[in-house]
Amino acid sequence: MTSPTTDPTTAAAGDAAGPPGAGGRPGRPEGTTPPAGRRRRRSGVARQHLAGWLFSVPFLALFAAFMALPIVATLVMSFTDFGLAHVTDPFSAEFIGLENYTKLLADERFLTSLFNTVYFVVAGVPLTIGAGLVVAVLLNNGIDRMRTFFRVGFYAPVVTSIVAVAVVWRFVLDPADGLVAGLLAEVGLGSPDFLGSTTLAMPSLIVMAVWRNLGTVMVLFIAGLQAIPPDVREAARLDGAGLWQEFRRVTVPLLRPTLLYATVITTIGYLNVFEEPFVMTAGGPADSTLTVSLNMYREGFNFFHMGYASAMAYVLFVVIMGVTVLQLRLLKDNTR
Amino acid sequence: MHRAARTASVAVSLVTVAALSACGGSGGEDVAADQKQTLTVWAMGAEGEKLVDVAKEYRKANPNITVKVTPVGWDVAHQKLVSAAAAGSLPDVMQMGSTFMGEFASLGVLEPVDTGKFTKDDFFPASWEGNVVDGTAYGVPWYVDTRVLYYRTDLAEKAGIDQAPADWKELSALAEAYQKKADTKWGISLQPYNLDAWQNWLPFFYSAGGELIKDGKPALDSPAAVKALEEYRTYFDKGFAKKSVQPGYDVVKDFGNGSVPMFFSGPWQVTNIADNQPQLKGKWAAAPVPADASATSFAGGSSLVISKKSEHKAAATDFVAYLSEADTQADWFERTTDLPANQAAWDDKRLSGNENLKVFREQMENAKAVPAMAEWAQFSSKIDAAIESVTQGKATPEQAAKKMQSETAGLVK
Repeated sequence: MTSPTTDPTTAAAGDAAGPPGAGGRPGRPEGTTPPAGRRRRRSGVARQHLAGWLFSVPFLALFAAFMALPIVATLVMSFTDFGLAHVTDPFSAEFIGLENYTKLLADERFLTSLFNTVYFVVAGVPLTIGAGLVVAVLLNNGIDRMRTFFRVGFYAPVVTSIVAVAVVWRFVLDPADGLVAGLLAEVGLGSPDFLGSTTLAMPSLIVMAVWRNLGTVMVLFIAGLQAIPPDVREAARLDGAGLWQEFRRVTVPLLRPTLLYATVITTIGYLNVFEEPFVMTAGGPADSTLTVSLNMYREGFNFFHMGYASAMAYVLFVVIMGVTVLQLRLLKDNTR
Repeated sequence: MHRAARTASVAVSLVTVAALSACGGSGGEDVAADQKQTLTVWAMGAEGEKLVDVAKEYRKANPNITVKVTPVGWDVAHQKLVSAAAAGSLPDVMQMGSTFMGEFASLGVLEPVDTGKFTKDDFFPASWEGNVVDGTAYGVPWYVDTRVLYYRTDLAEKAGIDQAPADWKELSALAEAYQKKADTKWGISLQPYNLDAWQNWLPFFYSAGGELIKDGKPALDSPAAVKALEEYRTYFDKGFAKKSVQPGYDVVKDFGNGSVPMFFSGPWQVTNIADNQPQLKGKWAAAPVPADASATSFAGGSSLVISKKSEHKAAATDFVAYLSEADTQADWFERTTDLPANQAAWDDKRLSGNENLKVFREQMENAKAVPAMAEWAQFSSKIDAAIESVTQGKATPEQAAKKMQSETAGLVK
């Protein structure tokens, strides 16, 4: 309750937290510093701290309000029966312990959505990474002409709005007069109803997601490839390595950190998959493309079972966390 | 620093107290209708845009009341209303879709209708009943819609049929005739699954004598439900209707090119067909839903509600009364082609001369709304799931009916 210059605890705390070296400037031995100067220095440190905190406040305030608070609120909510009736008075929601979580495990729809999400990730991630790698290597080595054209072409889907993408893809996949149906008709074949069939709907969405996310992965890989020193490749070639051997023994190992990063990012993105099924199939037919995120959205915003939806969010969070940790372990660079 | 912190905390708590007392103070006092004030109004979709003009007309007669209309998109309407209800910042007057009614009434954010000012008998019974929760009406019907059968008369003639199907048997026969004799790709369009398949199915269910809620409990495993599901299924089993429809499917386009010669929909399609498929003029007609035990359709539409927290209830009631007057309603029809909920408006010459409207009036007298209930969104999604399992051949109508009955049992209180 006193001013900071004379409060010993504040000053001490300020010193302790200060940057190393700030306390003893050369040419000013402890004993010779006049008391007034000492005070000024202490208040200077305090002022620096104040400035530091002030500069951090905008970020901290935004982070607390829009990230930390919702994250904690969701966690708390997942242990309550928060529903529409509690909207006007949030504190009237009752704590029900782990009931939401136990209910989830018995919820057929949730298990279906979990399975669909896993399907999407297991099929989608390797395809995206593989295709991205091939495209990047080709653009980096094979193709000289129109390189920029191809790069833009592969990256364009990434920056295109999902709604526009959905309209185009529905035309492509339309069983009556779509592009695929037209091509198949040329060779005398009928077209399956891609998005209307329970077996084909998910693969169709996966192909679309691969096409949409290829660009991001490609850009990462091109950057990684250009960081590989040319002399390593040259040495390999002098030693008689063929194209495949060079790719397998030089490019891929040296690309490992990029590979790891791309895989982790893509996996997290795919575990959260929402837009594709939302705009293309609305989760149908027969829930065959219902993903965890879409299910969560429905529970939360259509039915307003916020407690239940929060529990789903945390289950998904734990799954993502587990998968990411596992990937970091397994794909770690062990050669160093 | 400590002093600063203390000052800040005092300031914060003062602001909080001020804010709290401001909250506590509102709602109690009401501004009289003849005082100068601003009324906030939310309306959805096309209505929101058109209402701005009507609000100007209203102001001419009531110069002391400024009406501020905010158009809200239907796609975000539900979420916006819920968040505004949570924050206690609902507008004075808002448009409420018939399926939202039960939810918001049970939240306790709506002011009951002043039955001294609004008379039940002025409106279509179905639209008034849809606003009643536990015996109290919470909304004044604004406009109505009901589902009827749209069909291509030119193709029907080609198929050798010159009148609208009167019952289920004739409907099925017409679908078959279209496909066999007029070479249309499909016989009819029915929603096989996904969002709001229930809207297509309800006319079958209601016509078979079904009721969604009976004696305070769901009645979805009734013989009528099984019968309606069975009838619905035959259109898919016999290949009359397409088994898969994607989100965003535009039935009017296929109606125009003749691949889908029949579908069930609401009154807005009259304008839609005229605007987007002008070549169809004179080649189509709308008919009441085909009958089984009765020919009962599903009635929807919107009502006007007043927020419980509004400080301008007197003026809000006056504005709502103005909008539901027969004369304003007839004028509103000319602006939007929304069908008036006030029955007297139908005798106005602006409506009575319109041939296309006769079928809607006839159907409105034979239509039922969905009961107002808090969990309607989830209740209807269970019906959608049952319809899907039947149309996709995953379950028999009996199994599906039983399943939706058990799944909805906990949703009705």
